Amino acid sequence: MKADVRLVGLGKRYGEVGAVEGLSLDVAAGELVSLLGPSGCGKTTTLRLVAGFITPDDGEIWVGDRRLSSRDAVVPPERRRMAMIFQSYALWPHLTVAQNVAYGLRFKSDVPRSDRDRRVAEMLRVVQLAGLEHRYPGELSGGQQQRVAVARALVVEPDILLLDEPLSNLDANLREEMRFEIRRLHEAFGITTLYVTHDQAEAMVISDRVAVLERGRLAQVGRAEDLFRRPRSRFVAEFIGKTNIIDAVATGPDTVARAALRLRVDAKDLTAGAPVLVSVRPHEIELSTGPVPRTPDNAFAGVVRRASYVGTAVDYQVTLAGTDVTLRVTAPVTVRLAAGDTVAVRLDPAACVALPPAP
Amino acid sequence: MKRLLAGALLASLAAAVPAAAQDARLEAARKEGKVVWYTSLALSTAEKVAKLFEAKFAGVKVEVQRTGSQRILQRVMQELGANIKNVDVIHTSDAGHYVLLKDKKLLMAYTPAGAERFPPGFKDRDGFHYGLRATVNVIAYNTKAVSASDAPKTWKDLLAPRWKGKLVTAHPGYSGVIATHVLALSHLLGWDFFKALGQQSVMIVQSAVDPAGVVASGERPVAVDGGDYTFYQSKKAGNPVEVVYPKEGVPLVVSPTAIAAFAPHPNAAKLFTDFTFSREVQQVLADTEGLYTGHPDVTYPSDKPKLSELKLLTVDPAELEKRGEEIKRRFVEFFGA
Amino acid sequence: MRGLDLSLPVWALATLLLLALIGLPIGWLVALSVTGEHGLTLAHYVDAFRSVALRRALWNTVVMAFWVGVLSVAIGAPLAWLTARTDLPGRRLLRALVMASFVTPPFLGAVAWVMLAGPNAGVLNKLWRSLTGREAALLDIFTMPGLIFVVAIYTFPYVYVMIGNTLELVASDLEEAAAVLGAGRLTTARTITLPLVAPAIVSGFIVSVLQALALFGSPAILALPAGFHTLTTQVWGMFQYPPRIETAAAVSLPLLVATALLLMLQRRLLGRRGYAVVGGKGGTRRRLALRAWRYPALLGCFVVMACAVLLPYGVLARTAFSRAWAQPLTWDNLTLRNWTFTFFEYSATRSAIVNTLELGLLTASVGAGLAALLAYVARRRTIVGHQLVGFVALAPIAIPGVVLAVALFIAYTRPPLILYGTLWILFVAYVTKEMPVGYAQCDATFRTIPAELEEAGRILGARPLRVLGEITAPLARSGIIAAWCFIFIGVIRELSASIILFTASTKVMSVVIFDLKEEGQFGAIAVLGLFMIVMTFGVVLLMERVLGRDFLGVRE
Repeated sequence: MKADVRLVGLGKRYGEVGAVEGLSLDVAAGELVSLLGPSGCGKTTTLRLVAGFITPDDGEIWVGDRRLSSRDAVVPPERRRMAMIFQSYALWPHLTVAQNVAYGLRFKSDVPRSDRDRRVAEMLRVVQLAGLEHRYPGELSGGQQQRVAVARALVVEPDILLLDEPLSNLDANLREEMRFEIRRLHEAFGITTLYVTHDQAEAMVISDRVAVLERGRLAQVGRAEDLFRRPRSRFVAEFIGKTNIIDAVATGPDTVARAALRLRVDAKDLTAGAPVLVSVRPHEIELSTGPVPRTPDNAFAGVVRRASYVGTAVDYQVTLAGTDVTLRVTAPVTVRLAAGDTVAVRLDPAACVALPPAP
Repeated sequence: MKRLLAGALLASLAAAVPAAAQDARLEAARKEGKVVWYTSLALSTAEKVAKLFEAKFAGVKVEVQRTGSQRILQRVMQELGANIKNVDVIHTSDAGHYVLLKDKKLLMAYTPAGAERFPPGFKDRDGFHYGLRATVNVIAYNTKAVSASDAPKTWKDLLAPRWKGKLVTAHPGYSGVIATHVLALSHLLGWDFFKALGQQSVMIVQSAVDPAGVVASGERPVAVDGGDYTFYQSKKAGNPVEVVYPKEGVPLVVSPTAIAAFAPHPNAAKLFTDFTFSREVQQVLADTEGLYTGHPDVTYPSDKPKLSELKLLTVDPAELEKRGEEIKRRFVEFFGA
Repeated sequence: MRGLDLSLPVWALATLLLLALIGLPIGWLVALSVTGEHGLTLAHYVDAFRSVALRRALWNTVVMAFWVGVLSVAIGAPLAWLTARTDLPGRRLLRALVMASFVTPPFLGAVAWVMLAGPNAGVLNKLWRSLTGREAALLDIFTMPGLIFVVAIYTFPYVYVMIGNTLELVASDLEEAAAVLGAGRLTTARTITLPLVAPAIVSGFIVSVLQALALFGSPAILALPAGFHTLTTQVWGMFQYPPRIETAAAVSLPLLVATALLLMLQRRLLGRRGYAVVGGKGGTRRRLALRAWRYPALLGCFVVMACAVLLPYGVLARTAFSRAWAQPLTWDNLTLRNWTFTFFEYSATRSAIVNTLELGLLTASVGAGLAALLAYVARRRTIVGHQLVGFVALAPIAIPGVVLAVALFIAYTRPPLILYGTLWILFVAYVTKEMPVGYAQCDATFRTIPAELEEAGRILGARPLRVLGEITAPLARSGIIAAWCFIFIGVIRELSASIILFTASTKVMSVVIFDLKEEGQFGAIAVLGLFMIVMTFGVVLLMERVLGRDFLGVRE
C-alpha cells in the first residue's frame, strides 16, 4: 500500500540541544526522498522519529490518514507498517539468511504460512542471493549482508521504507554499484522511501528529491538539479557539489561588487548596499588563453596559481587580476595551463547564484 | 501365701508402671520425631552416642550440633534473642553456663533416671542440670619427639626455655574445658603463670579436642592443656601420644547437661537424657571414650588413673560464670589472640 | 525503545532491592553504632578506637591487605602477559590452572597449607628436614608472611583476568611500532605495554586489597594460632557471648567507608570498566617469541600453580585417605574411614550439602535473572535514571562480607522481618554479595548486542516481549549462563558472611568445614573440601561444555 508521509513541525531536543527543530516535509506516495546533511544535522533523529523509536517534543508525523506520532501519543514501531535497513544491517547472527528474511512475514496476517517460503525465495532471487538461504550472516561478505537486509525489508511490502546510511560500510566500488541497485529496486517496487545519507553524490543519484538538513532544520528541499543549480543558502551551495563563494555587496538589482570586481549575477531584485554571497560552480567557469573577451559581463583577466591534472579534467586555482578573489576552476583537459600563466576567465551570469549572507 | 501373691502382684505392678510410662514417653517422642542436641562432646563420641540412641529407639532421630562450649552458649543466646527455639538438650563443659541459664530461667528441671545416685559434683541441687561426663586437664607430649625423661612433669615445668615454640594450647574463648582449666590453675599458680606461659610462643587452637591432634601429628610436641580423654583416645588409636597427670593437681571439668525450658521436643529430650545417663551409655563413655562419669556402677579401664588417685582441682560454677569474661580477656592479653 | 514502558515496575523492583538488600541493613548498622543505653552516643566508636586489640587488628589487616595486593599483582600481571602476549607453551593448561585457583575457596587452601607448611608437621618441612637433615623448619605458615602468601595465591586470578582483558584490548600494532623502531622485547614491554596497562594494574591491586580486607577464613585459620587478629576475626569474635553488636557496628562502618573510597578510586582508574570480565575484541596478535626465556618462565608458572593448586589439592587428597595425616603414606595409614565418617556418621554433612546446593541454585538463578534484567534496562536506557541502576547493582562490592553479615544480622533479627534462623537470611546475603559480579557479566553481554538488532525486529512487526524472547535472549544466553556460574561458585565458597548468619539448622558446607577445623578434624575437612571442589568443577565444566568457551573470558 503506497502511502505518503507528512512531517509537520517536528521537533526533538536532547537537553539544551535541538536535534530537530521545526521540520516540515511532505513525501509523496511512491517517492524516494533523501535526508542529506553532515553528521549531527538531525537526519538520523528524523528517521528514528518516523520509525517510532523516539517520541517528538513538538509536531506530528502522518502517514496517509493516520497520525502516527505526536508529543502525546506514538504508535509503536511494530504497528506502523514500515521497514528499516540499518547502517549495520542488524542481521540476527543466530538465524539463517532465510530465517532473517522471513521474520517479518509472520506478523502479516494476510500472508499464509504456506506462502512464506515462496516469498522469501522470490525476494532472495531478486537481490541475487539465491542459494544462500541456509547460511548464517557471519559467513557472508559485507555486500551480501547488505542485500539480506534489503530483502528482509522489502519482503514484508511495507507502506514506508526507511534506510539509514545503508551503503556507508561498503567499499567505494560496491557503493557505486549498490546506488544504482537501490534505485532500480525502488523503481521496481515503488515504496515510499526515506533515505538518510551524508554523501551528496549518492543522494543525487538515488533520490526523487533531496532534503538538506543543517543543524536540525530543513535548509532546502527539491530535485537534485534544483539544489545544485539554484541553492538558496551558502550551506546548501557548499554541501551539494563544490563551489566558489564570493563575498560581495549588491550594487543593483542584478549586480554585485567586491572592491574592484564587478559581477552580474542571476538575480532580479537585489537591494543596493545589501551584502550578498555569490556562488559559482568550478565547472561553470570558462578559461581561455588569449585576450580577455570583450563581452560585457563577468570577463576578467586572471593568473593561474595551481594546476592539478585529475585525468578527466584539470583543477585550477585562478586569482582574478587586481582582486583578492581566487576561484577554483574545473576545466576540460583541452585547456592546459600551468602555474603562472595568464588566463582569461569568464563567468556566465546565469551560473552566478546570489545567496543571502550566512546568518 | 496371700501375702506373697499380693507382694508379687505389687512388685509386678510396680515394674509395669515404669514400663508403661516408658512406652507412653516413647510414643510421644516418636510423634516429636527428633531431639536437637547442642553438645561440646568430641564429635566422634557425640555421633556414636547418637547412633546408639537411634538404634535403640527407632523413630526418634538425634540432630547432633557439635561445637565448642562457648560457641554453644552463643548459639543458644543468639537464637533466643531472635525468638528461635531450636535446641532441646544443651551440653557444654563450662559449668558457669548453667548458672547463667538457670538464672535466666531457660532450663527445665528434670532428673534423669538414676541420677539421684550420682556424687554431689554431678548434680544441681535444684535438679536443673546433671553432670554427663567429666575429664581432667593434663599435659601431653609426642613420644617420638620427646623422651619420657625429658617430658614436663609439672605445670611449672612448661615454663622452661626449652619448650619455647614447642607448645600448643586450646582457647577458653571456645572451650569450656579450657575455661575451667584456666580458672583452676589461676587459683593454684596465679595469673603470673599464664603470663609467663604466654611468652613461650604457644600455638593457639580452639577446641580442647584439637591439642591431641596437634601433638599426634608432631606439629607441636607438647600440649599444655586439653581433656585427658582426647589424648587417651588418640593413644588408643595408635598415635605416639603420652599423658602426664601433674602431681600439683589436675583441673576437673564436669560437663553438665540440661533440657531447655522451651525445648520444642520435650519428650524426646527426656528420653534422650535418660538414655545418656543409663549405665550402658555411661559405660561406653568410660570404656572407649576415656571419660569419667558420675555413674556409681561404671567401671573404668585399667590403663587410666582413677579419679580417686588424682589430686583434683575444682572450681565453683558461680565463680566461673562471673569471671568468664575476665578469663577470656586475660588469656587474649597473655597469648595475643 | 518505546512501547514497553518498564519504568514503573522496574523502578519499584530496584527500589525494593535497594531497600531490602542495602538500605535497611546499612541503616540499622548506622543506627546501632550510635545507640547506647540512654539514646544517641558515640561511645561505641570511642571504645572501638581506644581498644588496643582493635587497633592492632586494624594494623594487621592493613599490612596484610597491602602485601596481598602487591603479591597478587606480582604474580597475576606477568602470568597474564605471558598468556596473552607470548608463545609460552601450555598456555591453555595454565589458564585452566588459574581457573582452578579461582574456584578454590581460600579457607580450604589455608587448611591445605597448614598441612603443607606447619613448621613441625608440615609435609614440605618434613621433606626439607629429611633432605637436609636440618632441625629448623623451612616454612612457617602460621605467620603474617604465611597468611599473605596463602591469601595472595587465591586472589591473583582477579588481577590475571583484569590485566588479561586489558591486554586484549590494547592493539598490538602499538607494540609493533616500537619494534620497528628498534626496541627489544623487554624494552617494548617496559615502555609501551606497561604504561598502557598501568591503570589495569593499579585497579587489580585495589581489587586484591578489597578481597583480602574482607576475608575471614584464612586469617581465622592462620593468624589466630599465631596469636594475631584481623578486623574480620575481631568482628566475628564480638558475636561471642555476651555479644557486642554495637561495637561490631562501630567497627564495620569505617571499614565500609574505606572500601567504598578504594572502590571509587578503582572505578576512576579503569574508566567505567570497573570489573573487567569481558570477552575481549581479540584479533590475531603477534606473539613474542620467548626462546631461551621460556624455561624460566615455565618454571615460574609451575611454581605458582604448584603453590595454588597442585600441592594443596595433593595434600587434601592424601589426607582424605589417611588415618593420620602427618604420618607417612603407608599401606596401613590408608583408610576410607574419613569418607564413611563424613558422609554417613557426621550428621551435619548431608544437611549442609543440601543447604549449600539449594542456596547455590536459588541465588544463582534469582541473581542472574535480576542482574540480566537490571543490566538490560540500564544498557537500553529504557527508564528514567538508568545510570542509577548500574550504581545500585554494583554498590555491594564496597561492602565487605563480614560488614554485610553484621548489618543483615541486625536488620533481620528484629521486626518487621525476622529472617534470622532461616535459609532466607543467607539467601539475602548471597544475592547482595554476588550481584555485582553477575551484573558486570550481564552488562558486558548486552554490550555485545546492539539495540539495532532489537529495533530491526520491532519495525518488522514484532512486539517488545517477542523481540526479547526471540532475538535478545538467544544472543544473551551464554553470557547470562556465565553470570549464573560466577554467582554459583561465589555462593559455594562464601564464608565470611555465612559464619555470622548461620544457625544450627542452616549450616552450609563452608561453615561445616570451618567447624571441623576448629576441632582439628583434618580427615573430614579433606573429604568435604575435595567434594566441594569436585562439585564446583563439575558445574564449571558443564557450563563450559554448554557455552563452548572458556568463560573466564581471557582469550588466547
